[in-house]
Amino acid sequence: MSAALTTVADLSDRSVLGDARLVRVSRAAALIAVVALVLAAIVAWRQGDPHGFAMIWLQNGIYVLTLALGAFFFVLIQHITNAGWGVAVRRVAEAQAANLNWLWILFLVPMFWLFVTDRQFHGSGHAEGYTFGHGLALIWPWADLAHLSAESPAEGVIVAAKSAYLNVPFFLIRACVYFAFWAIATTWFFRTSRMQDHSGDPSLSRRMRFAAAPALILFALTSTFAAFDWIMSLSPAWFSTMFGIYFFAGICAGGFSALAMGCLRVQGLGYLRGVITAEHYQDLGKMIWAFGIVFWAYIAFSQYMLIWYGNLPEETVWFIARQIGDWAWVSVALLLGHFIIPFLFFVSRWAKRWRGTLTIGVVWMLAFAWLDIYWLVMPVVPHDVATYTTYDALAAVYATTSTGLGNPLNYLMLVGFVGLSVAGATHRLSRCAVLCRRDPRLNESLRFENI
Amino acid sequence: MANLSASAPGLQSATKGFIESDNTEQPTEGRAPLVLNMHKFGEVTHQVCRVAENRPPLAWYIAFAICLSMLGFLGFCVTYLIFTGVGVWGLNNPVMWAYDITNFVFWVGIGHAGTLISAILFLFRQKWRTGINRFAEAMTIFAVVCAGLFPGIHVGRVWFAYWLFPIPNSMDMWPQFRSPLLWDVFAVGTYFTVSLVFWYVGMIPDLATLRDRAKGRFQQFAYGLAAIGWRGSMRHWHRYEVAYLLLAALATPLVLSVHSVVSFDFAVSQVPGWHTTIFPPYFVAGAIFSGFAMVVSLAVPARQLFGLKDLITMRHLDNMNKIILLTGCMVGYAYSMEFFIAWYSGAMYEKFAFVNRAFGQYWWAYWIMVSCNVITPQLFWFKRVRTSIPLMFILSIFVNVGMWFERFVIIVTSLANDYLPSSWDQFVPTWVDIGTMVGAFGLFGVLFLLFCRYLPMIAIAEVKAIMPEANPHPHDHGVPTGAVGALHEPQSGGSST
Repeated sequence: MSAALTTVADLSDRSVLGDARLVRVSRAAALIAVVALVLAAIVAWRQGDPHGFAMIWLQNGIYVLTLALGAFFFVLIQHITNAGWGVAVRRVAEAQAANLNWLWILFLVPMFWLFVTDRQFHGSGHAEGYTFGHGLALIWPWADLAHLSAESPAEGVIVAAKSAYLNVPFFLIRACVYFAFWAIATTWFFRTSRMQDHSGDPSLSRRMRFAAAPALILFALTSTFAAFDWIMSLSPAWFSTMFGIYFFAGICAGGFSALAMGCLRVQGLGYLRGVITAEHYQDLGKMIWAFGIVFWAYIAFSQYMLIWYGNLPEETVWFIARQIGDWAWVSVALLLGHFIIPFLFFVSRWAKRWRGTLTIGVVWMLAFAWLDIYWLVMPVVPHDVATYTTYDALAAVYATTSTGLGNPLNYLMLVGFVGLSVAGATHRLSRCAVLCRRDPRLNESLRFENI
Repeated sequence: MANLSASAPGLQSATKGFIESDNTEQPTEGRAPLVLNMHKFGEVTHQVCRVAENRPPLAWYIAFAICLSMLGFLGFCVTYLIFTGVGVWGLNNPVMWAYDITNFVFWVGIGHAGTLISAILFLFRQKWRTGINRFAEAMTIFAVVCAGLFPGIHVGRVWFAYWLFPIPNSMDMWPQFRSPLLWDVFAVGTYFTVSLVFWYVGMIPDLATLRDRAKGRFQQFAYGLAAIGWRGSMRHWHRYEVAYLLLAALATPLVLSVHSVVSFDFAVSQVPGWHTTIFPPYFVAGAIFSGFAMVVSLAVPARQLFGLKDLITMRHLDNMNKIILLTGCMVGYAYSMEFFIAWYSGAMYEKFAFVNRAFGQYWWAYWIMVSCNVITPQLFWFKRVRTSIPLMFILSIFVNVGMWFERFVIIVTSLANDYLPSSWDQFVPTWVDIGTMVGAFGLFGVLFLLFCRYLPMIAIAEVKAIMPEANPHPHDHGVPTGAVGALHEPQSGGSST
C-alpha cells in the first residue's frame, strides 16, 4: 500500500507551484552550461578541427533532441490512451518536451550558417569563392558531391542518384518543417495543459486527446526523416528501412530516463511530495525497460543480424565502421550497457520503486543513450573498404581506429547542451504548476497502485 | 452516441430486451463500464455457461456443417497432395513458395491478437481485455494449428517432416541451425506451447464452474477432469494469480518474437523485396493488425449468436477497431519506408522489385493489399464507423483479405521476377492450392465452433473482477471520484483507453 497519501484537496501551493527553488536550479544550470560552452569554444579553437567540432556539436545536439522528443512522445501516448496513472508526472514531461521550441537554434542556426558561408573545410583543392551549400559538407558529405565523387567514385554515383532527396535546399526545408512541427505541437500541448490548471475544464482533456492522434503520426514521420537526414545520411550510400525505428527506440531510452530523472530531481527540490510515488516510478521504470531497453535491443539486434547475415557489402560497411579498432569496444559496451546490464537491473521491482536505485539506473541509461547516439553519429566508413579481399585484412589496417571518446570537447559540449535543456525545462516549470493540478484524472493518478 | 441504435439496428440485448447502453464514450472522470446490464456475479456465470449447457442455435449447426465440409475438402486436398507430390500445386521454378507459405504466414499472423490481448494488454492494465481474451486466445491456438499444417505438407515428402526437428538420427543428419527456417520451428513451437498453457491455466477456474453446474454424469466427469481439482480456495486463487502474471510476462516476448522470426525467413535472404531491415517490426504490426481484424470478424457474430452483448460490449469492439486503425497505420508506415528506401538505396534490383509489385504482373494483388490494409481502415477514424456493427464487420473482413494478399505479394512477386529475367515465370494457383487454402478456414472454423459450444467463451472469473461489485468501497458510496474517500479503493487507476 504505497498509493499517495495526498488527494487533490490536500495539495498545497508550496508542493505544486513553481517558485524560487526552480528558478535557482534554472540559473545554476544556465551558468554551468555557459561556462562549459565557453570552455568548449576555447578547446575547439585550440584543437583547430572544424569537422571534429561540428560532429561533436551534432551528436550532442541530437542527444538533447532525443530527450525532448521522448518526453513529447510520452505526453502524446498519455493523451491518446486516456491514461490515468501518468497525470502526476505529465507536467514534468511537458516542460521537458517544451525544450523543442528553442532546440532548433542548436540545429538550424549552424546549418544555415554553413549554408551561407563560403568556406570549404575539407582538405585542399577547393573551388574559389562561394559554392552553393558546400559548407554543409563539413558534416554531411553528400552536400559536396564533387568532392565526394573525387574521394570515392563508386559512392559518388550512388549518392548522385538520390540527389532529388539529398540536396541542400530540400534538406534545409525539411529541417525547418520538423522543428516547426515539434515547436508548435509541444507549445500547444503545454499551453492547453496549463489552461486546464486554471479552468479545470475537462473538455481540454478531450481536445488534447483528439490532437494527440495526428500529432503521433507526424511525430513518427518527422522523427524518422530527421534520423534519415541527420544521422543516416552521414554515410550517404548506406540505407536501412528500420533506421527510423532504431532512432525511435533511442528516443524512448533517453527520453523516458530523462523524464524519470526530472521527476526525481523535482521531488528532490521539495515539490510533489506524496504526489509522485513509488508506483509512478515503477511505471516509468517499466517504460524505460520495455521501450528503451528491450525494444531497443530487439530493433538493434534485428537490424544488425539481417544486415550481417545478408552480407551485402553496401550494407555491411556501416557495421564494419562500428567494429573496427576501438569501435568494437563501444559496440560491445552498448550490448552490455544498453541491454544486458540494465535489463537485469530494471527487471526487479524494488530497483524501480526505490528512488536511490532508480537514480542509479536512469543515470546509467542516460549515459548509454548518449553513447548510442555517439555510436550512430561518429564512426566513419573507410573509403577504401571495397579494396580489401578479406575482413581480417581490413580489420588489421584499421586496428588503431580511435573513437575520439577521449576528447574533452565531447563532455564539455554534453554538459553545455544538457545544461541548457535543464535550464529551459526548469525555467518553464518555475512559472507554472509542476503538476497538472486540475486534470480530471489527477485523483486516479494519485491513488494509482501497481497490483 | 445518440444515433447508435439507429445506425445499427437489432442491437437489443438477446437475453433481456434492454437497449444496448452506450459505453463507448470514456468520461474524463472515472471510467466507462465494461459489463452492462448486470448487477450480480451469478448473472455473468449464467450468461456464459448457458452457451455450453444448452443446445446451440440453428446457425451454429449450419456454420458447423459448412466448416466441416470445408475441412473434409482440406483432407482430400492434402491426401491428394501427399499421394501425388507438390506438383499438384501451381509452384514452379522460380516461384517455389506461393500459397503454402502465404497461408502459413497468414495464419501465424492471425494468432497474434490472442497473445497480445492476454499478455500485453494484461501488463498494460487494459481491463477491457477480459471480455475478449478467452476466445482470442482460443483463436490463437487454432490459427497456429492451421499455420503448422502448411510447412508440414509443403516439404513434399511428408513422411520426412519430422526432419524439421533436431532429432538425432541414424544418418547423423541435423537441420541447419543457421537457417531461419529452423528458428521458425522453434519459434512457432514455443508460441503454440506457451499459448496453450496460458489459455488452459486461465480457463481452469471457469472449467470448475462448468463442472459444478453440470447436470449430466459425463459432463461432470469431463469438466471435472479438465478442472484438475480446482476448489476456488484462497490458496488456489493466490497461486493462480501469480502463475497468470508470470505466464503473461513470458508470453509477451513471444508476441514480438514469433512473427519476427517468420520475417527472418525472408529478410535474411538477398531476394529483392525480401531483404529489408524493417521486416521484423513490420511483420509484428501486420500480425496484430490481422489478428484483431479476425477477432472482430468472429466477435461480431458470436456475441449476437450467443447473447453476449453485455459482456462483449460496443466499447470492446470500439477499442479493437482503434487497435486495427493504429496497427494499420504502422503497416502503412512500413510500406512507405520500404518504398522510400527502395528508391533511396539506389539499388536497381530493390527499385525494380517495388515498382514491379505495384505495376508488374501482380499489380492487382498489390492494390488489393494497399486498399484493404491502408486505405479502408482509415474509416475507423470516425467513431460512427467504429461503432457500426455492419461496417466494422465488413472492414475487418477487408483487413483479413488485405493481409492475406500482403503475404502473397511479398512472397510471389519477389520470387516470380528475380535477378535473372530469363527465369521469370508466373504463378497460377491450381484447384488444389485454392482448396487447401479454403480448407484451412474450415479447420479453423470447426475448432472454433467446437470451442464455442463446449468451453467457457468468456473468462468468467476475470470479467467478475472488473465489475464494480468486485470493488467494494463502503465508505463513500455515491460520492463522486475526486473526493477524499476515494483513497479506500484498492486496485484503482491504471486502466486506460
